[in-house]
Amino acid sequence: MRIYTYAIIDSNNEITAPINGLEGIGVYNIPYRDIGIVVSEGEQIQDITQEHILKHEEVVEKLMESFTVLPVSFLTLFKKEDDVLLMMQEYYSDFRENLDRLRNKVEFGIKIIWPGETIKNRIIEASKKFNADVTIPDNSPGKSFAKEKFEKYKIDKEFAEEADRCIALLDDFFSRFITEKKLEKLKSDNLLLNAYYLVEKEKQVDFKEAFERTRSTPGDLKFLLSGPWPPYNFIVLTKNGDMFNRKPINQNLAEKNTL
Amino acid sequence: MTINRIVETDSPEAFIEEIEKIQGVLPKRINANSKNVEKGLSKLVLTLIELIRKLLEKQAMRRIDAGSLSEEEIERVGETLMKLENKMQELKGVFGVSDEELNLNLGPLGDLM
Amino acid sequence: MEYVTTKSKDVTLLEVLDRVLDKGVVISGDLVISLAEIDLIYVGLKVLISSVETMERLRGAPFASPMQEPT
Repeated sequence: MRIYTYAIIDSNNEITAPINGLEGIGVYNIPYRDIGIVVSEGEQIQDITQEHILKHEEVVEKLMESFTVLPVSFLTLFKKEDDVLLMMQEYYSDFRENLDRLRNKVEFGIKIIWPGETIKNRIIEASKKFNADVTIPDNSPGKSFAKEKFEKYKIDKEFAEEADRCIALLDDFFSRFITEKKLEKLKSDNLLLNAYYLVEKEKQVDFKEAFERTRSTPGDLKFLLSGPWPPYNFIVLTKNGDMFNRKPINQNLAEKNTL
Repeated sequence: MTINRIVETDSPEAFIEEIEKIQGVLPKRINANSKNVEKGLSKLVLTLIELIRKLLEKQAMRRIDAGSLSEEEIERVGETLMKLENKMQELKGVFGVSDEELNLNLGPLGDLM
Repeated sequence: MEYVTTKSKDVTLLEVLDRVLDKGVVISGDLVISLAEIDLIYVGLKVLISSVETMERLRGAPFASPMQEPT
């Protein structure tokens, strides 16, 4: 027997509208103090398929219609309810803080592709022209290795700086209606931006309009928007000693004037 | 039941292509049985060594950029970096790990690079 | 705008996977059943795209995902 977990919710009541989880078993809420965790019981699944994954997500999104949810990572399993309650005890203050911070907020994802390879080639060509008449008198393999690396470094640096400029412009457009964000820049040469934005529910429409306006401006960019999602990318757990997950402060707001 | 969630893009293939590039070869969660634990460990160790090597290289480049190294120092740094790179190639060969396999998503550590 | 092609369902899948697999509430510790006990199908991108196509072939119909976008 296993207990599958789906999400922590800001309610210790029973779930009234029935929801089916993995293996078609109904989910229920295990209360702990003023919050709860939604789970379902099941047998051991041998092969995990994408149906299981999508079903898990479906449950979380259904819950999102009625509650503030902290989505639990897929396949977080427990042997018995007592273990679940012990875990809730350990994490309670983290869960409480997250539920309060994420109330009425949803996550959107934006990905942007730019002609990175073209831009990089342009920089490389320019760099070649620049270095064309610099002769390197060399019997020193160390020096030529270093200089070769350095030229590549300069190209990468300029490429990254151009990406930063472009991202700053775009992010400015989107950020007007958000409360928090996480940006991943240049995960590949062409994937200029992979961004996660936390948006208040009432500002969803504004946010999507800002996206549409930005997308329709002429240029070589390709856009992807997804959402609204449960706030997967904005959970902060201090209990795990997660030193990289600093509490997202209002520093973005101070800079961007979003309120 | 209607889901409010949308996923919209005018270029699905382009995004699939890019996501494919960055996903890397390692699965998101590794099935930790003994068969593939060993291979997993050597990949992990090599990735860490590679990370350090890249950091050293980047640091050297920054110093050259800032003009704080003499020609002689540049020569010595270059030689060291060359040896490190060659050693890395050797290790990859010994453990049978390819370049793509070293592409662990470093998360926040990636910012150090 | 609506996209009912295989490729856009793959993109949806990718977006779900990106979140569900190692984000959200990630709990560590002794209470959680170790993943070693569970057989995970390798959840790489290529494997999943071919799964979608395989499923479509097997069922003889577009893969009816529970996450159908509203028309």
